Amino acid sequence: MSLWVDKYRPKTLDDLHYHEGLSTRLKSLADSPDFPHMLFYGPSGAGKKTRIGCTLRALFGQGVEKLKIDQRVFLTPSKRKLDLNVVSSNYHTEITPSEVGNYDRVVIQEILKEIAQTQQVDMNAKQRFKVVVLNDADSLSRDAQAALRRTMEKYMTNIRIILCANSTSKLIAPIKSRCLLVRVAAPTFQEMKTVLEHVAKKEKFDLPETASHSIIEDSNGNMRKALLVFEALKMQSTDLSGPLTIAKPDWETYCYKVADMILQEQTPQRVMDVRAKLYELLSHCIPPTVVLKTIADRIVQNVDEALKADIMHWAAIYEVRMRNGNKKIFHLEAWVVKVMSLYKHFFYDIDMTGFDDC
Amino acid sequence: MPPFSSSQSSGSKPNKRLKPTSLRTTNLNSVRNDAGPPSKKFKPMPSLSQPPKFIVPGNSNLLSSSQSNVKGKGKEKATSTSRAQGNENDQLWIDMYEPTAEEDLAVHKRKIENVRSWLNEALDGGPGGRLKAYRRILALTGAAGTGKTATIRVLARELNLEILEWKNTVDESFAGDDDHDDEQGQSSWRNQDYEGLMQKFQAFITRASTCRSLFSGPPPQSQSEAKPSTKTSSTSSPQLNTSSKRRIILLEDLPNILHSGTQQQFHAVLETVAHSRDLTPVVLIVSDSGVRGEASDDRMASGRGRVKETVDIRTALPSSLLGSQWVTEIKFNPIASTLMTRALQSMLTSLSSSSLQHPSKETLDMVVESSNGDIRSAIMALQFACGARQPSFEPQGKKRKKGTTGNSRALLEAVTRREQSLALFHLMGKVLYNKRKGDPPGSSATKKDIQRDKELDAKIKDPPPLPSHLQLHDRRSSRVDIDAIYGDSPIDSSLYSLYIHQNYTQFCNEVDESEAISEWLSWVDYSGGEAWYQANPHRFHLLTMGTLHSLPSPVTRRSQKIFKPEFFDVLSKHRECEDAVEDVLEWTRDASQHTNLLGGFSRSEVATELGGVLKALDLTGRHTVPPSHRRFSLLPFVKQTNSTGIALNEDDAGATEAPDDVPTPPRRASSVDRSRESGGWLEEDDIEDF
Repeated sequence: MSLWVDKYRPKTLDDLHYHEGLSTRLKSLADSPDFPHMLFYGPSGAGKKTRIGCTLRALFGQGVEKLKIDQRVFLTPSKRKLDLNVVSSNYHTEITPSEVGNYDRVVIQEILKEIAQTQQVDMNAKQRFKVVVLNDADSLSRDAQAALRRTMEKYMTNIRIILCANSTSKLIAPIKSRCLLVRVAAPTFQEMKTVLEHVAKKEKFDLPETASHSIIEDSNGNMRKALLVFEALKMQSTDLSGPLTIAKPDWETYCYKVADMILQEQTPQRVMDVRAKLYELLSHCIPPTVVLKTIADRIVQNVDEALKADIMHWAAIYEVRMRNGNKKIFHLEAWVVKVMSLYKHFFYDIDMTGFDDC
Repeated sequence: MPPFSSSQSSGSKPNKRLKPTSLRTTNLNSVRNDAGPPSKKFKPMPSLSQPPKFIVPGNSNLLSSSQSNVKGKGKEKATSTSRAQGNENDQLWIDMYEPTAEEDLAVHKRKIENVRSWLNEALDGGPGGRLKAYRRILALTGAAGTGKTATIRVLARELNLEILEWKNTVDESFAGDDDHDDEQGQSSWRNQDYEGLMQKFQAFITRASTCRSLFSGPPPQSQSEAKPSTKTSSTSSPQLNTSSKRRIILLEDLPNILHSGTQQQFHAVLETVAHSRDLTPVVLIVSDSGVRGEASDDRMASGRGRVKETVDIRTALPSSLLGSQWVTEIKFNPIASTLMTRALQSMLTSLSSSSLQHPSKETLDMVVESSNGDIRSAIMALQFACGARQPSFEPQGKKRKKGTTGNSRALLEAVTRREQSLALFHLMGKVLYNKRKGDPPGSSATKKDIQRDKELDAKIKDPPPLPSHLQLHDRRSSRVDIDAIYGDSPIDSSLYSLYIHQNYTQFCNEVDESEAISEWLSWVDYSGGEAWYQANPHRFHLLTMGTLHSLPSPVTRRSQKIFKPEFFDVLSKHRECEDAVEDVLEWTRDASQHTNLLGGFSRSEVATELGGVLKALDLTGRHTVPPSHRRFSLLPFVKQTNSTGIALNEDDAGATEAPDDVPTPPRRASSVDRSRESGGWLEEDDIEDF
């Protein structure tokens, strides 16, 4: 059995429920002879990957759906082995270079060169080029992006690259200028409602208005999340009537509690306690950036107006450090302690002039 | 390399074939002239004030004998006396004066007794002859230079045993370091049948039990000169007694067990030895080599795959054997200073015939003190000290004495400086207690301590006064010598930062102090570039100074304990969780029958968004969700956490020890005693069944 998100994912550009304007443009792009490199960006759960998939299908037809998953091994210059899952069809290859962390440059270079140097052998193929889809493009390291930039020009005859990212801010300008930027915005309330109702219809039950409202509210514009929550709810109570309580995921509640811990007490001992919690979150594979963001959101809700800007300012600073540094916990903790210190000083109303001009 | 080398059971180093390799000698001269191995140059002894150099007489004999040293561990640098003329002075004292009888051993009596009883039981079966089946493998562990090998050799001589020793050697074709090997030569060995080292090892173990020694009686000199064959394993068969039937296998020079394939094979061989009753018992000698926590932890942090980079008993023995009844571990402790002094003194007495000047009592004490219980290094230092004192030796007058002591102390320190002389425990204590000039002495401080602190304070200069706007950075000058602790630190700066991170909170009184330290930690981790070669080279100094600056002064004493970083536990949990995410990812792919073009979840999406559905699916119980998903989808908030981690001990070498590496309590060693005396040893029950 497959999850609804997968089961009812639109397969062609015509099936898409929202952003019709974008869909028609993509369709005409796929039909035109000069398909550019593309960069899809937009918030999580807006439908970027779905649209990329539909575009590929429009480009190459059904054959692109015959997928195979390989585990490729790459060798770094320092002779370390890297494993990477590569999903590919005859016409395209999909990789997530961020899986190998700092070594993404090696992977990008190897894979792209390899694909670019072989021409399309299928004479019946609709296009002469292959497509490489790079997921999580915004977590590509600088090196990898620089490597990409050259490859994009050099092998233009043989490959097209489609990047998928949450925001363009982490991509270097040369890459952005080489791509056609496509923004996929989060669906509106009404659009999400249409999709949910569509799914309900296919599953042959009625979706009460209240239920769909609370699901959409909870999902915060994330279509995937909405569908997952919807399915979970449906599994728990079959009729979906009456007041619904949508349980937050465990880690989110956990983050909230950590935020409360930070505001309750500001002592070195409490730092230790919070660290244990942070470690717990990290060891559950919650990305540190998400942890930082969730806790920061929660803290900002509960503190005085005057502190909010500072807290977010430091959150941004430590988030940057986290990306460049090795040990995420140092930066998470440094931020936590910073917040504690700020909060404490604010609370005791100590004159802070000249304190935070770092 | 020679196929067979013979050695006395007393272990005196074989003086064997020396290739007339002037080529090699020149190489050594040019490359590592002052690094340790003896060079051919003959120089007059430098004066004491100069940095020490290892000078040996121009005798290439020494060169080869030290290179083919049986115990040849890297740190045994050959030294000799410049005065040496006679043959015996060409040798190292550790070889010349290797103990031959039990009285000469500086090892504790009980340890010797333990080893002896094991040997007896292994060969004769102990009381009733039943223990024999269980005395298969003896593992001798302990720091370097604690007399493990010497004990075995002495006891072998005493019990009239034959020691078969395995030695890794390099294949002939590889060994030829003459540059005549051109392309042709290279391709020719590739075509030959190549017998892997491990195959040879296996063969060695089986043959050792079944075959008799060919060379009974003292092996003729020509044997060692014999043409080297391609066979690479060499057996040192002591020519003690030809009729000796009892033998043990000594494994000291282990195959490269850090390579996982080799390790598996090695373990398989040991398992066979353990479970068979016919094979010769094995004595395994594993020196605890302290780890320098090098880049490995960064690698662990950024990538997958944890690399174990030390040889210890846990890598040498398979987990199935470790702690089983077939394996006895005897841990050798560092040699006590009294025992060592006695041993050194007796050695010097036997030396009196020679022309060497006896070192003073102070020198002896210093040697013992600086050796950290490593008798090998102590003897080395002593030999060096005796040699080095010669040129500027002056009659002992009261006036002179002090100067000489000071000089020789400096010299000895330079000679005997051990990499791990500053234990991690003390390093952390030094930094985190943040002692500054003029700190009141602790309650437990003795008069001597106070005096020493005063002397130290007198040497430390006060910093210039700060302008008023920087007053908040005003600190008394620190007693911590950062350069010194950096030089002595057993760990690299990355691991060091983890230790500081784990422990700093206990030493702070206020959250502001914590804030400053954590800011430093964060900044230091962040500084530098993405790649290792862009890393900031000053991380250690920056972090230490930042920490010292931020900590309160004086640090409030509340019996803080220093803990090992939890970081690695979390990392391994994280890795397990990643596997779980991978399982679920696999499941979603299977569930959608791979029809899903690009719909796949990313890992972080699985971890953060899929939890609810998975839990719901779990409740319905109809589906085939991989149960491992609970690793990341369930995260109950527990108010109280008692995860304090493992406290760091004073005698901990302080490497990146995983939790399963918690040091074995020394209890194990005495188990042999107990089994003999009271019969309370667990396996006695099993034995009755035989």
